[in-house]
Amino acid sequence: MLKLIQLAGQWLFLRVERLFNHAFGEENNPLYHLGQISFFLFWIVLISGLYLYIFFKTGVEEAYASVEQLTLEQRYVGGVMRSLHRYASDGMVLSMLLHLGRHFFFDHYRSFRWFSWVSGVVLLWLVYVSGINGYMLPWDRLAQFVTVGTAEWLDWLPIFNGALIRNFIFEGAVNDRLFSLFSFMHIGLPLGVLALLWIHTQRVPAAKTNPPRPLMAWLTASLVVLSLVKPALSQGPANLAVAPTTLELDWFYLPIFPLFYRWSVGEVWLLVGSATALFFVLPWLPPKLRHHKGAFHLMIRPDNRIVAAREGETLLESALRDGIAFPFDCRNGGCGKCKCTIAYGKVDYGIYQNEMLSSEERAAGQALACCATPLSDVELEYVPAAPLGGIAVKRHRAQIVSLDRLTDDVMRVHMKLLGEEELRYYAGQYINILLPDGEKRSFSFATAPHERGPLELQIRHIPGGKFTTHVFTTMKVGDIVDFEGPLGSFFLREDSAKPMIFVAGATGFAPVKSMLEHAFHIGMKRKMILYWGVRSLKDLYLPDLPRQWATEHPNFSFVPVLSEPKPEDRWTGRTGLVHGAIIEDYPDLSAYQLYACGSAGMVEAAHPAFAEHGLSQDDCFSDAFKLAPHVARQGEHAVLVSLGGGGGSGHA
Amino acid sequence: MPKALRYLAQAVLYAAFVAVIGYFSTAPRYEHLPADEALIKLSFSHAGERKEACRERTPEELAKLAPNMRAQTVCPRERVPVRVEIVLDDQPLFHVLAAPSGLAKDGASTVYRRAPVPAGTHRIGARLSDVPSGEFNRAGDVTVELKPGHVLVIDFDGQTGKFVFRS
Repeated sequence: MLKLIQLAGQWLFLRVERLFNHAFGEENNPLYHLGQISFFLFWIVLISGLYLYIFFKTGVEEAYASVEQLTLEQRYVGGVMRSLHRYASDGMVLSMLLHLGRHFFFDHYRSFRWFSWVSGVVLLWLVYVSGINGYMLPWDRLAQFVTVGTAEWLDWLPIFNGALIRNFIFEGAVNDRLFSLFSFMHIGLPLGVLALLWIHTQRVPAAKTNPPRPLMAWLTASLVVLSLVKPALSQGPANLAVAPTTLELDWFYLPIFPLFYRWSVGEVWLLVGSATALFFVLPWLPPKLRHHKGAFHLMIRPDNRIVAAREGETLLESALRDGIAFPFDCRNGGCGKCKCTIAYGKVDYGIYQNEMLSSEERAAGQALACCATPLSDVELEYVPAAPLGGIAVKRHRAQIVSLDRLTDDVMRVHMKLLGEEELRYYAGQYINILLPDGEKRSFSFATAPHERGPLELQIRHIPGGKFTTHVFTTMKVGDIVDFEGPLGSFFLREDSAKPMIFVAGATGFAPVKSMLEHAFHIGMKRKMILYWGVRSLKDLYLPDLPRQWATEHPNFSFVPVLSEPKPEDRWTGRTGLVHGAIIEDYPDLSAYQLYACGSAGMVEAAHPAFAEHGLSQDDCFSDAFKLAPHVARQGEHAVLVSLGGGGGSGHA
Repeated sequence: MPKALRYLAQAVLYAAFVAVIGYFSTAPRYEHLPADEALIKLSFSHAGERKEACRERTPEELAKLAPNMRAQTVCPRERVPVRVEIVLDDQPLFHVLAAPSGLAKDGASTVYRRAPVPAGTHRIGARLSDVPSGEFNRAGDVTVELKPGHVLVIDFDGQTGKFVFRS
């Protein structure tokens, strides 16, 4: 039944939204900004309310008279402000209800979203209380009806038990202090609404609280026109000796009041209490017994960040929650700005406007991140809207100036940029080498950004790999290569004072070298420890460089770790897995920052182990390439190695 | 869609939005009380007599108490519920038995009832019981001309022991 209601609601919303897309465009479609519109209308209510407060007088006679004076004698200022105050309040209720309805119909209120849902329900009630309180202030016949009705309603409660209505039983029973109380409440309650609005958006990553400017302009203009065409007016002064007979009721705020006199007050309490309770528990209805989907992980490129996705969370929400600058706008599958490519894994594509994602695009592995939820570990790639540090990703051309074979399978490549353009990048970022057939191969900068010489790459040979085989066999000095960059968000964080541990696996040393040389260059005094893990001694392809750093910089130390030392290595240093050595040396990692760059296997094993030893997720930066933690490997040589050099990579 | 047409469509949709707001902010009109009716409200707050009369403690009872607690007279706190009946033109309108408030049932009994009645001249009788015997020991009556929409409040003044009819 619930599902049927939701399907019907989805059908309706999608069709109306499509219609609105034609008129407003996807970016300015009000139905994609309902929460933001509610927020904006609240600001109109607040500003117009402050204006009204200047002229409002708190007295039995003065309350009505001052509002009348404001409405009639300041027709085009006070009158408009009063009307704006009322109509923006009504619009706020309307947009909040639509906002709530959309989330309900699209099933966006369960799991981690319960917080926003429950706080939203509290918010809605508080807005109602504020609005009802506001209708008491002008002390006209509607105010009398609302005040008496509220007292009669509350008097049902044992705590009042008929005592509250005694304050409004005779003409002359109310005094000036009542209006001071009403005014005080009408300031305090909206402040509560504002605080709750802030709380309500806390768990929404990258929550926007302002609609697009054209929407704001249209909304304001429309409400001003309405205020001029149909100004909000009082309905005659209150007189407690005479009951209001016919009233112009605001049905957005006061629909419950007629029920007081059609049903018993107890029945209305039952209705309101039941509805509130139902709304509160809705995120857990129907209860799911032993439901456990398990959390999936996302590998998000080009940032190369591994993000844990919560149950029911869309790809976009996971990315935004982790601080990734994923492009988005409508969040409702209506604009296509968050379109991404699923490189690995399964997703539920969700509900979206079909024009935004054609079946061909879907077949080609594309998805709308704002609607798609992971059904397995997922690797995805998006096109960044804004590059890191404002450094634009550009296409460059370079010439090979040297090729040094450091070991049997590691080549140091120096290449010089052609043209006068300078390449700016962050230490730790990478480039994509563009192959003639359109394919790309990723390698990290091994040079620090401040160095003016040729760019250095450290490339490991992958047997059968198209590009690395070319590097080791046919590439020669003078060859031209095209590449794009800089890319990635794996870079040295300079805004922390924590000591840093660098974990390099094989050619993962390349970006670490770039970061360390940058750190030395800027005179960074933080403690830095490099753990370089390789199989055997011959794989430690630049052993003297970190040792030299250690002698030159007292805040730096170097720990090489061999996992499979050969007898001829006569190795007396650390052995085993590199992350094991780190945990042995630093059992409590809570006070450290950690930069890990290496094979998928290394990062996959290290990440949970580090977390168990207190490493905060915010202090763990990794650059494992083509990796999601639970992605099954399709062979010993498939998709395994680091960005920092490509050795063993499927991108070879 | 051409730009001009889009703007026109937007204007129409925004107009529809504010039209909905403008309409439902005052309409449809709500008839709270039919034009030919008046309203009678019964509202008072009055404490009934104590359920048990005050009595003098015996010397034995006093001896058992701490010296600072030896008050001669002891008065049980609980009060009787207040019973009230209102008759409109010889027809019963309200009959309420109001329990005393408070955990110890020692507070005032509060009553609130409302009833729409046809406008016109009415004879109203009221009687109230606030004594342990349950007999109606207070009474009052009045003949009033109730205009359409007017409110007649029936109150009870505990100090004078009389009903007050206010319109």
